[in-house]
Amino acid sequence: MDGAAQILRRYTGASILIAFFLLIVNYIILGTFVFKGMNEGSSPVHVTQTVAEGLHQNGSHYTLEPKAQEWLQKSQAWAMLIANDGKVIWDYAIPDQLPRAYSLAEVAQFSRNYLQDYPVFVWEHERGLVVVGYPKDSLAKYQFHFPISWISDLPYRLLALLFGNVLLAALLSLFIGSRLIRAIRPLISGIHALSEDQHTHVEAKGMFSGIARSINHASSLLQEKNALLKARDEARSNWIAGISHDIRTPLSMVLGYASELEESDAVPFEQQQKASIIRKQGEKLRSLVSDLNLVSMLEYEMQPIHTKPIRLSTLARQIVTDFLNNDLAETFTIELDVTTEQCFVMGDEKLLVRAITNLLQNSIVHNPSGCHIHVQTTLSPNQRNALLIITDNGKGIEHSMLPDLVELPYSSKRKSTLHNGHGLGIPMVARIAAAHHGHLLLTSDTGKGMTAELCFPLSS
Amino acid sequence: MEEWKQKKVLIVEDELEIRNMIDGFLRKEGFSRIFHAGSCKEALVICASDKPDVAILDVMLPDGDGFGLLTSIRRFSQIPVIFLSARGEDEDRLLGLGLGADDYIVKPFLPRELVLRLLVILRRVYAPPQIDRLPVFQLGDSTVDLEAAIVTRDHHEYALTAKEHALLRKLYENRGRIVTSDALCQSVWGDDYYGYENTLMVHMRRIREKIEPCPSTPEYLLTVRGLGYKLLVKEES
Repeated sequence: MDGAAQILRRYTGASILIAFFLLIVNYIILGTFVFKGMNEGSSPVHVTQTVAEGLHQNGSHYTLEPKAQEWLQKSQAWAMLIANDGKVIWDYAIPDQLPRAYSLAEVAQFSRNYLQDYPVFVWEHERGLVVVGYPKDSLAKYQFHFPISWISDLPYRLLALLFGNVLLAALLSLFIGSRLIRAIRPLISGIHALSEDQHTHVEAKGMFSGIARSINHASSLLQEKNALLKARDEARSNWIAGISHDIRTPLSMVLGYASELEESDAVPFEQQQKASIIRKQGEKLRSLVSDLNLVSMLEYEMQPIHTKPIRLSTLARQIVTDFLNNDLAETFTIELDVTTEQCFVMGDEKLLVRAITNLLQNSIVHNPSGCHIHVQTTLSPNQRNALLIITDNGKGIEHSMLPDLVELPYSSKRKSTLHNGHGLGIPMVARIAAAHHGHLLLTSDTGKGMTAELCFPLSS
Repeated sequence: MEEWKQKKVLIVEDELEIRNMIDGFLRKEGFSRIFHAGSCKEALVICASDKPDVAILDVMLPDGDGFGLLTSIRRFSQIPVIFLSARGEDEDRLLGLGLGADDYIVKPFLPRELVLRLLVILRRVYAPPQIDRLPVFQLGDSTVDLEAAIVTRDHHEYALTAKEHALLRKLYENRGRIVTSDALCQSVWGDDYYGYENTLMVHMRRIREKIEPCPSTPEYLLTVRGLGYKLLVKEES
């Protein structure tokens, strides 16, 4: 899952950065805080050097500069000068138990270590060797020896240490991160499923069990809501179907007896005309009832669509021919313009015929004084869609009214109701187009005729 | 025509008023032997005792539905059946026709339509076996004999090829109406007709050479631009 990979990447990056930062901070702390105490005050070597430099011979006497003396006092240290023959020729606050003469071996010994447990430091003087001793147990004295190669390798070693640290941090964070991701992944897929409105159940365990439970709860809530919505749509659709059904039987009798009276010779002509009006109105009611049913089925997606590849030009030819064959008034002319025969769409033939017929019917009904209707089947400019364009040169409709046309009459989205026709025709076309993953585009303005463009995805 | 109206018709419909209305129409058309049933049970009793020749069935009945009733009737009788239902969904129609009904009419219906459909079915089912003869018709000075596939004009006989014959037959069946080029191609070349449009034009020209006095200005076989062709036949009889 892409989400998980991204989280892991971010997490690892952040961990490496943190490790690197910690390392730097540690070096700084080590340098400034830990090693600060090492040279606290003045270093013994420095004191020793100051003493050696501040010790001057004055005939057979030696005098120590006050500054050096002060430092010795401060560190509670003692000092002596050993002449080249091993005898102590000058001393300062030297402890009593210390000998006053040293052999070469003794000097070599204490110059590296301790003189009778006193940490001592030496510095060369023009008359011999200055020795400064510190109180017992006040200083630790170590000798370090490094091979030159080790010293010259030191930068690389430090660099390797740094990289090792970073690598270790990366590996550790990857390990911890992937464990985290393993725990998060079900949650992520759960949330993705939620966003796609699918049922999901996330295994609730570990630290994310609370979130998992919430996701499961949200999922079941969504499912319940969907089921409720579906039930309501179904109830609505069934209600309309039921009403349409109940209207059919009485309407049968209205139509039946009206047409009988219309055709009966025993009935006076005037009454026959009235019966004819009743029959015609009854037929309008009949088409309204079946349109209502179809529109409600399309609206709630209850209409099963039986699709097959359909050649748009064949369909258009058939419909235009049907209009011409069925006594279209003289004032109307229909022209078919097929720009390509290779225009197949996956569709429900009955519904598509209904949609195209409705559009043609619309042009005819709304232009009672006649008009020219141009029907064109073509490919969209990007060659991806099939277009069926019906243009008339009739009176058109105000541009601002166009969005209303595709809404169902009496729906909240519709600003005004239309008085001409029952107003289900165009909304039905829009819904049939939508059911075929296509759309209906209307363009018109007063006096400029109407253009209806049906756009469907091409069938491969 | 009148012989069909001696046939026994069974109306199965639970609404008394509709039943009476249909009854009235049928009697007015000349049918006299009409039986009524308001439920499946009554219908089965009448089927067994009076042996109707045709049945008009409602789908929704108080003791079952018309589909079940048809299944029961089919166990002992092959009479033609028309469904007459307020249920007009595709599934219902397909179910009814799939069960072997001869027609399916959705309410509300025009009585004239019901009677015409009823007559078509009676004629088809009970017509004495006879060989269907294809028509012979007149186009101006030409006589087209579809049975013999010959056009006679100015004492000349022109034989029609199989394709020309099929096209002319289709056009004659829809005479006076536009037949789309798709429908014509399909009637000759079947469902894989696509790509035969140019061949169709060639055939139409040959037909015109045989039937038209002046093939370049046709009088009887007209081209309707972009749509198809139309055969104009002046009925004389």
